[in-house]
Amino acid sequence: VRVIVRVCACDCVRVIVCVPSLCEDLLSSVDQPLKIARDKVVGKDYLLCDYNRDGDSYRCSTEYRDLYFEGGVSSVYLWDLDHGFAGVILIKKAGDGSKKIKGCWDSIHVVEVQVRAGAPLPVQTGINNVNCFYLPNLGNMDMENKIRSTLNEIYFGKTKDIVNGLRSIESLPDNQKYRQLQRELSQVLTQRQIYID
Amino acid sequence: RSDVRIAANFVTHAPPGEFNEVFNDVRLLLNNDNLLREGAAHAFAQYNMDQFTPVKLDGSEESVLITEHGDLGQGRYFDPRKRVSFRFDHLRKEASDPQPYEGETALRSWRDACDEALSAYVKEHYPTGVCTVYGKTVDGQQTIIACVEGHQFQPKNFWNGRCRSEWKFTISQSSAQVVGVLKIQVHYYEDGNVQLVSHKEVEESIGVTNETLTAKEFVKIIENAENDYQTAISENYQTMSDTTFKALRRQLPVTRTKIDWNKILSYKIAASCFSNFSFMLVQWAITSFNTPSGFRHAGPSS
Repeated sequence: VRVIVRVCACDCVRVIVCVPSLCEDLLSSVDQPLKIARDKVVGKDYLLCDYNRDGDSYRCSTEYRDLYFEGGVSSVYLWDLDHGFAGVILIKKAGDGSKKIKGCWDSIHVVEVQVRAGAPLPVQTGINNVNCFYLPNLGNMDMENKIRSTLNEIYFGKTKDIVNGLRSIESLPDNQKYRQLQRELSQVLTQRQIYID
Repeated sequence: RSDVRIAANFVTHAPPGEFNEVFNDVRLLLNNDNLLREGAAHAFAQYNMDQFTPVKLDGSEESVLITEHGDLGQGRYFDPRKRVSFRFDHLRKEASDPQPYEGETALRSWRDACDEALSAYVKEHYPTGVCTVYGKTVDGQQTIIACVEGHQFQPKNFWNGRCRSEWKFTISQSSAQVVGVLKIQVHYYEDGNVQLVSHKEVEESIGVTNETLTAKEFVKIIENAENDYQTAISENYQTMSDTTFKALRRQLPVTRTKIDWNKILSYKIAASCFSNFSFMLVQWAITSFNTPSGFRHAGPSS
């Protein structure tokens, strides 16, 4: 199945109408915006994704979420593997809904922890949640910061450069200046590289 | 059929410079070329007209824009500057079969004056710009319609961009309203996917005197509005970076240092040994640095 670069979340349904056989492949490979649901028993919001269609949920790492997102909703779903465990950490932060701005940050972190035979066992503490032992390793993953910086500097910066290459506020009196502008623009644009591990 | 409708819809929303890619993808999905050709032909034409697609007639150095104002029906369009009509192939984006086309002679002098002034402006501000000016009677009013287009397609560098603007005013009275729409669309998709889609409506009054003076004033209005718009977009980027984007996710916590996970973990362990009161004290210490900020929007309205 050829991958379609331009399919975005809201178009998923429309592609599936055209080609129903792609349904499962598409839903598992295209990230949809996270949906919020309410746990009426506890009175708290939690997030839905492909991984928790039939699972338990924990609330975890609220300190991290509040320090970086000042609010928002987070959910963590963990499940056992043969030699360790895996999990998904979801964060959703929407704008405050003020009239002129709409925005939403969705994070989906998928994690797998493998425990090798002979590794020291986590110390049993008073907390009844052994997985907290792994928290410092999980928490230090800097992917979100990298992506955020990349978004801010490269993606937004580059689209701005492109706009200014389509039209010039200053006059371009002759061909020479235009060629110069083109050269400079090419340089700037090729310098803005993205490094994602 | 809903799938043809959806296919047509995908095509009309292709980012500038990516029509062929979207068309090919959609063709694979639908897997029925006849159905696509018949059901979506109107979509191909609509796309080219919306995008102000430039085309060169054989033997001409200058381009003309494909727009709704130049649509003669039956796949033919006209070039008001060269006074020529031609057949346009919407898939190949090629012009053929030129024939003389006079247009509305009563408006010719006004059209020519505006075209001359606008062309000079476009050369000064658009590295790859094209403009087409029509003089037509619309709803009984003698109207000048100016269309400007500039694009850069660099798919090898994973980006494409286009700006378009359309400006109209009537010449029947000594004072008129210039109405303009400005549009920008940029798509950058190297290891990611970002689109800027923006438009702005403008209205300014203009004095209608003689062809030359009015054309000059017309172009001045266009130049000021388009400069303001471009400036506002640049400023918005800065504002967005400083406030909006930050409000979604900060680069660093308010404490200005990265989280010390071992500290948090040891707080949790320690807390479980002490009373509830101590635990609450620790929580309060971590979160007290936060001050409610929400969104502070200080950018220009656009």
